Amino acid sequence: MSPVAPIVAVRASGVDMFFGTPENQVVALKQADFEARRGELIMLVGPSGCGKTTLLSVIAGTLTPQAGTVEVFGQRLDGLGQEELTAFRRKHLGFVFQSFNLIPTLTVVENVMVPLLIQGLANDEAHARAKAMLDQVGLKGREDDRPDGLSGGQQQRVAIARALVHEPPLLICDEPTSALDKDTGAHIMQLVRDLSRSPERCVVVVTHDHRIFRFSDRIAEMEDGRISRVFDDPKLLDASHL
Amino acid sequence: MYRLALNMLFGDRAKLAMLLCGLAFSALLMAQQSSVFFGIMSWTYTPMVNIRAQIWVSDSMVEQVNDAKPLRDTDLGRVRSVDGVAWAAPLHTSFVQARMQDGNFKLITLVGIDADTFAGAPAVLTQGRIEDLRLPDTVIVDEWGAALMGRMGVGPDGQPRNQPLTVGDTFEINDIQARIVGICKVRRAFTGGPFVYTTYDRAKGYTLGARRTLSFMLVEPQKGVTPIELCDRIERATGLKAWTSDTVIWSWGERSLARNTFWWFWTNTGIPFSFGTAVLLGLFVGIAISGQTFYSFVLENLKYFAALKAMGAGMGIIARMLFIQAFSAGLIGFGLGVGMAQAIGRVMIEKGMPPFVMYPQILWATFVLVLGISFVSAVIGIIKVSRVDAAAVFRG
Repeated sequence: MSPVAPIVAVRASGVDMFFGTPENQVVALKQADFEARRGELIMLVGPSGCGKTTLLSVIAGTLTPQAGTVEVFGQRLDGLGQEELTAFRRKHLGFVFQSFNLIPTLTVVENVMVPLLIQGLANDEAHARAKAMLDQVGLKGREDDRPDGLSGGQQQRVAIARALVHEPPLLICDEPTSALDKDTGAHIMQLVRDLSRSPERCVVVVTHDHRIFRFSDRIAEMEDGRISRVFDDPKLLDASHL
Repeated sequence: MYRLALNMLFGDRAKLAMLLCGLAFSALLMAQQSSVFFGIMSWTYTPMVNIRAQIWVSDSMVEQVNDAKPLRDTDLGRVRSVDGVAWAAPLHTSFVQARMQDGNFKLITLVGIDADTFAGAPAVLTQGRIEDLRLPDTVIVDEWGAALMGRMGVGPDGQPRNQPLTVGDTFEINDIQARIVGICKVRRAFTGGPFVYTTYDRAKGYTLGARRTLSFMLVEPQKGVTPIELCDRIERATGLKAWTSDTVIWSWGERSLARNTFWWFWTNTGIPFSFGTAVLLGLFVGIAISGQTFYSFVLENLKYFAALKAMGAGMGIIARMLFIQAFSAGLIGFGLGVGMAQAIGRVMIEKGMPPFVMYPQILWATFVLVLGISFVSAVIGIIKVSRVDAAAVFRG
């Protein structure tokens, strides 16, 4: 097999993913091919049930496909065991979830410290870095608040801070604006774009929200468990058929 | 990470309160019931505490202190002749009915002690003098018995007196007058009857018709002779049974009459079963409440644990987090429960009923069991979290 070209951040080839029993099988991905480059923000779009989240999970190493290969920053994921996948995610991935998934009993800064503490950083250092990251997302002074004391947009900012605090090369965002209004969603995407813009970082965003397409470099459209089209210019995608 | 685990636990105050209630209630039930159990069991060998002597000699068939098999008076001479005996004094103990002034009867523990040496006399007299026992028809009654029997007394006006008996008051034992010349302070007994001290010879008179009245012999070893050593000598020389007076029930010494009494009651009565059931109930209630509460705590946080897994936290980290949470709650619950048990125990001791003895072993056992409950709770949580797919975080 030829080595992954330096420009490629994520490559999934011929990925199959089925759920359920053989008699009652649901095909989530069928011979799916996907590629994301370093330095870009790529969006995965498509109708509900087309396999976007499944493909995202496969790329994130939280699901292991039945067939096909997945490479993330040169590392083949399909041959790794659970512990190795966990260690890989710890170091290389940052997550922004649809429902934020901030731990409500922890303060804002403690939530942001989590990925650093998982990596084994000392408490004081993690605290300092989390605080600096919160400063970058515009939440200075809110460090000791609880997440439920913040607005939806602010909570998503915390989630972005948490996703980027350990400087992962791959940022995965699952419907990051679906729980936000139009303006807040736009602000959040601008923030993601600003903070993640780096030649060594790749951002994969799954979304239904056509209002944020403009923040992407490319858009991959999914249909029936595979990538049907890739738009190099997001303006070319007609949102009406999504 | 572990500090955050604690913050996660302490951040949910309602859930924490519920969890601590379960653990504290469980610890309370286990510690309190065990302490009352051992308190009651400690009453079984009360005569060993109230009648002080280094060595007790009994019939060879005696198994416990409340069941004396009468000896011949000549046995006293045989024991006195054993090498190493400094002195030996007769002791009579029996349960007899005392007749109060109002006509009521009360079962008492009659203790007849040697009038010459007063060996086995109560240590503390709150009224009167021990020497007055040498006067005719005299007895010394314990404080609690005086109060109890006083309630049965009748005043000069013929009305119930409702006052504790005091020096000068009288009652009857087998139609023979007993005049109180002293009130003593002793520990209460399992049988519940007051301790009434008199001389050995007078005790014979009070127990009319009894052919043999020597229940035990109290023996003091000579200087340089250990009690165990003398016990061996007495047994070899007389064929009687000699016991040491130590009341450490946890020891393995077969010579301790107190210990033998304790274990006799343990094996021959339903008391351990009854209290054991309560302790087990505490354990099961603790497991049920704490396990359920901790499980629901884990369930509520399941999506966050899934998020942690997705972010790269291995099951090792998550398991340690859950153990820290469970054990911290267990530690606090243990403290609260044992603290409450101590407070209840204090009130019990002040009221004098029921007895309450919290041995360090009870604390340790409760501690281990509460941590066991926490361990089970944590394991239930870990099993649940281990089955959660990290990919679940992407399903909204």
